[in-house]
Amino acid sequence: MAIDGLIILDSTNVKPIVQTSFRPFPPAYPLLHIDAYTAALEKAARPEDVDPVLLVSVPDGPAACCHLQYRSLAFLCPISQDLDPLYALAFIRTFIDILVEYFGQVTPPTLKDNFDIVHQLLEETLDAGGHPNTTSPNALRDIVLPPSLITKILSVTGVSGISGPSTNNMSAFSSPIPWRKAGVRYNNNEVYFDILETLDAVVNKGGNIVTSSVLGKIDVNCKLSGTPDLALTLTNAHTITEPSFHPCVRLNRFTQSKTLSFVPPDGRFTLMEYRVDPSASKPVAAPALTAAAAAQLQVQVPFTLRTTLSTTDHGGEFELTFAPRAATLDDVAVELYLGGDASGVTCSAVTGGGEWTYVPTRRTLRWSLPPTASGRTATLHGTFSSAEAHPRPARAAQVSFALPPGALLSALKVDQLKLVGETYKPYKGVRGRAFGRVEWRVEWKRA
Amino acid sequence: MSGLNFNSWTENATRLGMRIQETLAEHTKDFSLSSSGAGYYDAGEDKTKNIKAQLDSGNEREKLEAMKRLIAMISKGRNVSEYFAPVVKNVAAQSLEVRKLVYIYLLRYAEAEPDLALLSINTFQRDLADSSPLIRAMALRVLSGIPVQSISSLIVLAIKKCAADTSPYVRKAAALSIPKCYSLDESQLPSLIGVVSTLLRDRSPLSLGSVATAFEAVCPTRLDLLHPHYRRLCRVLVDVDEWGQVNLLELLIRYARTMLPRPSASDSTGIEQKDVDADLDLLLVSADPLFQSRNPAVVMSVTRAFYYLAPPSQHHKIVHPLLRLLTVSPEVERVVLAYILSISHTASHLFSPHYTRFIVRADDSPQLKGAKTRLLRNLITVDNCQALLREFIDYTDDVNEALVAGAIQGIGHISRTLPEATTQCLNALMACIKSPHDCVVASAVVELKSLVQTQMQSSTHASAPLMIVERLSYRIDEIRHAQARACIVWLVGQYAADDSPNAVVEGVVPWASDVLRKIAKSFRDETVPVKLQAVTLAAKLLVLSPAHGTLTQLAKYVFALARYDRNYDVRDRGRMLQQLLAGVVPSVGAADAKDVGGVVLRRAQVRVVLFEGKENASSGDVARDDPVRERLGTLGLVLGRDVPHARVLPDWLEHGVEASLRISPDEAHPAPAVTAIGHVAAPSRSAVAAGGQSTPIVVLTPAGSGGPSPAGSVPNRGNWTDLDKFYASDGEEESGEEESEGDGDEDGGEEESEEESDRQSQVEDDDGTGAPQAPEGENEEDSDVEAGSSRVASVR
Repeated sequence: MAIDGLIILDSTNVKPIVQTSFRPFPPAYPLLHIDAYTAALEKAARPEDVDPVLLVSVPDGPAACCHLQYRSLAFLCPISQDLDPLYALAFIRTFIDILVEYFGQVTPPTLKDNFDIVHQLLEETLDAGGHPNTTSPNALRDIVLPPSLITKILSVTGVSGISGPSTNNMSAFSSPIPWRKAGVRYNNNEVYFDILETLDAVVNKGGNIVTSSVLGKIDVNCKLSGTPDLALTLTNAHTITEPSFHPCVRLNRFTQSKTLSFVPPDGRFTLMEYRVDPSASKPVAAPALTAAAAAQLQVQVPFTLRTTLSTTDHGGEFELTFAPRAATLDDVAVELYLGGDASGVTCSAVTGGGEWTYVPTRRTLRWSLPPTASGRTATLHGTFSSAEAHPRPARAAQVSFALPPGALLSALKVDQLKLVGETYKPYKGVRGRAFGRVEWRVEWKRA
Repeated sequence: MSGLNFNSWTENATRLGMRIQETLAEHTKDFSLSSSGAGYYDAGEDKTKNIKAQLDSGNEREKLEAMKRLIAMISKGRNVSEYFAPVVKNVAAQSLEVRKLVYIYLLRYAEAEPDLALLSINTFQRDLADSSPLIRAMALRVLSGIPVQSISSLIVLAIKKCAADTSPYVRKAAALSIPKCYSLDESQLPSLIGVVSTLLRDRSPLSLGSVATAFEAVCPTRLDLLHPHYRRLCRVLVDVDEWGQVNLLELLIRYARTMLPRPSASDSTGIEQKDVDADLDLLLVSADPLFQSRNPAVVMSVTRAFYYLAPPSQHHKIVHPLLRLLTVSPEVERVVLAYILSISHTASHLFSPHYTRFIVRADDSPQLKGAKTRLLRNLITVDNCQALLREFIDYTDDVNEALVAGAIQGIGHISRTLPEATTQCLNALMACIKSPHDCVVASAVVELKSLVQTQMQSSTHASAPLMIVERLSYRIDEIRHAQARACIVWLVGQYAADDSPNAVVEGVVPWASDVLRKIAKSFRDETVPVKLQAVTLAAKLLVLSPAHGTLTQLAKYVFALARYDRNYDVRDRGRMLQQLLAGVVPSVGAADAKDVGGVVLRRAQVRVVLFEGKENASSGDVARDDPVRERLGTLGLVLGRDVPHARVLPDWLEHGVEASLRISPDEAHPAPAVTAIGHVAAPSRSAVAAGGQSTPIVVLTPAGSGGPSPAGSVPNRGNWTDLDKFYASDGEEESGEEESEGDGDEDGGEEESEEESDRQSQVEDDDGTGAPQAPEGENEEDSDVEAGSSRVASVR
């Protein structure tokens, strides 16, 4: 029940940047995995099409290479024992989160700049036997110093005795709560909640919703002194289904009272993730919901898109009509894959503004619209040609959008936040952001 | 006085400032924030020469630079073991920064240079007594990584020392060192098992996950060691770290399979709960909250526990957590879909109401598309077949050919499962045949073939399927896909019999002979599968209508072409059929063939040979997953093939072992209650005074009900300053709980123990029940217990 190690690749040239020692394995073992990954990458049409669990033949029988692409990096996690691949994938995710926490931007240059820190992090998070060890960012920050101006100055000048991060070695592992640093002090005690929601829907040709769900998460940036014990209550918490929580949340309390009770880690973390089910039973206390509130509970797709596509020999014609419903939408973009050999895309008529581009590498037409006020319809009409006799464009257009800041898709709100265990009054901030990712199927006429 | 202080302070400050300035000026070359590391990383070979000198220098900064360079070279995959000796000397360096890098270096190379590593053993042993838990843990890690068998007893001593350390982090390191020590020297097994059982007694949930790992490595079969710890391990499960939860759950699942009685599988819900052993129930109840873990691996472990331990009536609990994992990320989705697919072979009813969660998106990766269509096929029910049919029809437009094929198979599957939907399915498939895309047509024809066969077998009036064959035969010119063409030719031959008296060609439907004509004309350009079927078609038609002159000529022509074909399969098939027909139409028999003797079949016999026994082999993939092998959450299932050393769940023991074995020896004395960190009620001083300390009788939740960390108490905030006190009191509380559980077991009735604890808690119940809405902090404890036991009632 252990993973074999971790390889971090620069995916632009597929060369390893950092890797663990792979001690009991022959030296060629990690190379076999890198080769398997490279081979699969070459075969796949898109990088995301590579199977995340690759079968690798090694001398001792089959092994698997679990991998993840993160920006321009690839994280490979070979496993040769019978282990749940989810374990390896979860470890990679956790390690990426730690890297993000330490360096902000995680790119090949940052990792090369801070390779000594990356090595220390690897050594602490993954035991030589392949068992994840300390993975809580708060605990790690005591053991491995994050790169900062002050550590730089201290290390370069060799000055010691200034009370700074260098004294933390004694405080390592001193916190009784594994996920929270001991002795945190802030002059201004603040805590910020970011509620992020994403509408994920598929709409068929007739404009009927095939499947739709709102996925949300609450990100917290906690700057509170001491050991605060928070209790967060949400309005409309009954609409939450399938929640998952940061380990700090007391699970039984949520089951009993739908209250999030927790001692937060210091800094940024994701408190919970959830799915909104508008059909969940209405609160018993308020049987008479107003029509507006009831409508708000329904997850609707806030626009309509009419796409007609007709293909002829070696070409085709398309017309997209986008009509927002009620709300103002930002960052609206419609993407349509035009088939393996599409070229020569021209759009003849554009009304309602917006710009179109054709991305040849992905064979995709991208139409970005200006922020839409309600009711203004936009259309795009164009043609394309194809080397194929019978072009095969995508059967659906992908639409992404954002609601204006503050608006949420669900009726979820932060009701109140109670703090116990400390005497100060914290400043509380709540923000909401909502995005959408809708697949709208295309009406396809063949000539 | 104050002036003096101020003076000395300013003086110090100036001095410090000057020093910083000087050193800054001195080392400006190193002081570039953005690219200093890359400087090391991309450093050329020329700089490596003075690494040795730097390591030997007295300057900490020089040493640090040298170490960084070495680590950079390790990153690049260079072998730098030649520096082992100078590096080892720095193991006692003053700067912790240097020391940590030295440790990293040693962890890499201790194996390659064991003799040199031995030189540093004294330092490690000294470090084992260092005041910093970090250094202690690191020293043990390096020490246990030195593969010299002669020091194994030394390592065992160090592990023993660290296993009794005050810091749980060091104890965790000790647990993780045990497998390494065991693989180094197996003769140390008895003492290592001793350490493991000491560590099992650990009160801190921090180290328990690693202890489970050590247990699996050292003594996986000694599950009997777990008896006295089982209940406590179940309760602390929720407080163990995520990775430990996975390991610990795996261990507990194995324990439950081996040591607990199997839950009876009676399907009458409601009464069934009684048949679940209290200890098994404790495990399930303790694991249940972890369905909400953010870590997919933990969720999967809990799913394993419920799917393989719980009675079928509880299987529904795994549905929503697994559905949630689908939204985590595409790679998790890919793995979880493989698991759901495997479940759907045996228990599709769990997921069929949620089919909309498996809708295939146009931009899914090919693996996802494949898995989702297979899954949707398994989930077809009367309720969702209309919606799924619409979905499958939409998927036939997809760019991914595998998905198109899968969707068309799905359409066929719908009509096989639900005969009432057949007409719609046939219409959909006929529409597919008009598609300009080969793959669509090919899959549709293959599916139609199997549908026609099923229909001909089942229905008495066979006109509808014959219509399909006829329509297909008219389209033979347009269908170029080899497999599809071959399929049609076969269908035409198979169903060409026509008994109506006014046929153009006696005994044969009119379109059949036309197909033979067309195919004979284009025989030269056909592919091998089509040629094979063309020969068969000729033979079949000849048997149906042996007297027809034109048909005989046509058949002869086809046989002649087949005889000189370049493909030996086609030649063989032609010759074989010709011989077969020798008794029916003598003129067809090969001209040069002398009478070779043997049996010559009559017409009716040939007809049986050619037409009968062509029953439909069910298409679609058969349930490949062997239900006996329980493979949820294993690599083998995801890869679809066996892996070496696969984890196998032991079979249930029908009766389990005596429950009294699980009563731990220190269960006797109840004590003030403090629960584990994560799940305590909000601390409040008044409640501490009321419940935590002054009242000796603690409100306890009854057996197997309170969940992993029953929130039945309030922590003493004072304890939070000292971890060990904190966990010590934690443990005492748990032992108190165990007692009440023991009562429950002896009485044999859960209700009674519940009542008993209610009696015990009477003192506090007064305000607890009276004011369930009490303000936060005041009656925290009581209201929590309230809620706890009401949940018990609902569970039972």
